[in-house]
Amino acid sequence: MSLQMTEEEHMARFMKKIENDEKIEADDWMPDEYRNALIKLISMHGISEIMGALPEKEWVPKAPSLRRKLGIMAKVQDEMGHGQLLLRVAEDLMKPYGKTREHIMRDLFSGDLKFHNVFHMEAPTWGDAGLIGWLVDGAAIISQTNMLGASYGPYARALKRICAEEVFHAQHGEAIIMALAEGTDEQKALVQDAVNRWWEALLMFFGPADAKTTGSSKQDITIKYKIRTKTNEQLRQDFFTKYVPRMLSLGLTLPDETMYYDEEQKLWVYKQPDWSRFKEIIRNNGPKSKERLRLRELSYDNNAWVREALSPSGRVG
Amino acid sequence: MSDKGQNFYQEFEVFSKRSDGAPMQHQFSLLAPNHELAMVMAQENFMRREPVADIWVVKRSDLRMMTPEERESVKRLDNKDYRNAKGYGYLKKKWRQYEQEMLDEKEIMSWGELVKKK
Amino acid sequence: MNVKSPDEIPNKEYKEALLSLLYQLADDDFILAYRGSEWLGLAPHIEEDVAFSSINQDTMGHATMYYQMLEELGEGSQDSLAHARPSHERRNAILLEEVNGQGNYLEEPRYDWAFTVVRHYFYSVAKKVRIDSLKNSSYEPLAQLAIKINTELYYHLLHWKTWFMQLVNAGGEASVKMREAVKRVMDEFQGVLTLGPTGKEMAVMGLIEDEENLKKRWELSLQPVFQSTNLAFPPTTAMKKGNGRKGEHTADLDQALSTLSEVYNSDPAATW
Repeated sequence: MSLQMTEEEHMARFMKKIENDEKIEADDWMPDEYRNALIKLISMHGISEIMGALPEKEWVPKAPSLRRKLGIMAKVQDEMGHGQLLLRVAEDLMKPYGKTREHIMRDLFSGDLKFHNVFHMEAPTWGDAGLIGWLVDGAAIISQTNMLGASYGPYARALKRICAEEVFHAQHGEAIIMALAEGTDEQKALVQDAVNRWWEALLMFFGPADAKTTGSSKQDITIKYKIRTKTNEQLRQDFFTKYVPRMLSLGLTLPDETMYYDEEQKLWVYKQPDWSRFKEIIRNNGPKSKERLRLRELSYDNNAWVREALSPSGRVG
Repeated sequence: MSDKGQNFYQEFEVFSKRSDGAPMQHQFSLLAPNHELAMVMAQENFMRREPVADIWVVKRSDLRMMTPEERESVKRLDNKDYRNAKGYGYLKKKWRQYEQEMLDEKEIMSWGELVKKK
Repeated sequence: MNVKSPDEIPNKEYKEALLSLLYQLADDDFILAYRGSEWLGLAPHIEEDVAFSSINQDTMGHATMYYQMLEELGEGSQDSLAHARPSHERRNAILLEEVNGQGNYLEEPRYDWAFTVVRHYFYSVAKKVRIDSLKNSSYEPLAQLAIKINTELYYHLLHWKTWFMQLVNAGGEASVKMREAVKRVMDEFQGVLTLGPTGKEMAVMGLIEDEENLKKRWELSLQPVFQSTNLAFPPTTAMKKGNGRKGEHTADLDQALSTLSEVYNSDPAATW
């Protein structure tokens, strides 16, 4: 027996739940705008985790000690695991559209599914390996903890698992950076060099402050539906507050010499990155983007025989 | 896109318990082509950093889950204290009159511990 | 005979046999864990990627523990043992150093899942047989270590056996690929099963049982699997590319080692 309600009644009921901080579940009624915003956000998040594993994994064999090798293997495993959790959440949301994991993979290879800009960047040195764990994961933690109270239940639950594991990632990255910062002159230079090259990408991690910079911004919808609470700019400011003092304490110089903290406004003042590059990178034109996509696509196709072999034939429940 | 291999992706729900005495808990869902592979995937995907005493994998299509409407109607009236300790709190004062302590939930559940210590 | 620690090692011959054995055990796990880790992000299925990674971490962890034992016997630091030794000093079986498939893992890798499943499954079974024997080793620290390692092998075996059986029994292209992979692995598997030139001494000194017994047990473990999949038994193994236990290796190992030691060699004295 199902309740017959109009769209307006459904919507009113739905917004009431949001206001009361009740969780929305996968099979609840939800407006298309909510469903589509979640699908876009969560699948991008999930694929970013998986694609992020590729530059990091390059350091598994090259890591200069057994302990570091193991640490990176565990970190990359977590990232694949996070990708799995998020894709599952996205897949359940896409079910009404008849889309499956197979579709997600194809959309990724064709370029229809975007992934996070930082994972398009190169990781040529051991300094990059450390920096990714320290600052990139640091940025990810700030972004993710902001959504722990998300209105969409499955996403909130996935994020809880993810954030718990990110703690080790951040510490692993810090351990690498600390050893370098306390090491030889060459090792110290490795860190500074990595910071210089990653700075712009880190600024762009949180997305543009508003639609004017790049022509669109999803943050209004995600805030309206209580998927997140802070804006892109607030998150970026949080990042600066947490990490700039630490960077300075290790003797690093900020690549942006104009940057300072305005005590009156309680804001970090900094030079904007080149946002035109942001759009290009998102459109998969970043330096390593094509290579990494190709890697995954090749592997997926080469292994199709495995999935075909194990697919049960006949009616599937 | 080929149709072959589509059935590879079937949904399984994973349950586990941390120790012998603990209850089974739902963890998360994963995709696998059959129960055996789902079982092989389960522990390392969701419980790699915690102790595990037992694991169940269940095909999602075998679960009879509630609809959103059913979830709305699962609430109960709060008029049933005849069947829980709340309804018998007045006994505490009565026993005091007889200079005895009340055998409440906390007290009774602690008796299990005395037995274990043997 | 029961040797409780490095201090109680009775003579030079015992030590040499022990070292020889430990290098094989360490190098086997180390190089296979490396090959396994090359699959990160590229496995046929994301959930499998995560599960496989645990196995590789376990295995790299085992290698670490063996290298640590070698360090305690005065062979140098575990990191230098893992990173700095050239090809001709390595004692792993050639099968385990072979690339996962055509192509370098950064450019156009065409990794072969069938080969990977067979290699890992057959190796896990051989490892289990060796570990069971090592639990009774005359070198007590090694016996203790074997007990520890054994606890992780149950999952490895379950994981690989499941994949092996399902793919072999799937029929069609999968069965063909798996049979080809079995043949390819058999052509080099004797290299895993052999204990090398000092195998006899190892058995005499009670470090591990003799090679023939271990091989028999490996075959018997796989017999039911072979029967249920209509593969010929007993399997004929060979080591066509050479004997890794003698330091004979291929270009695949050179390539692997140069990547593995790249950062380490930039400053071996540094702390990382």
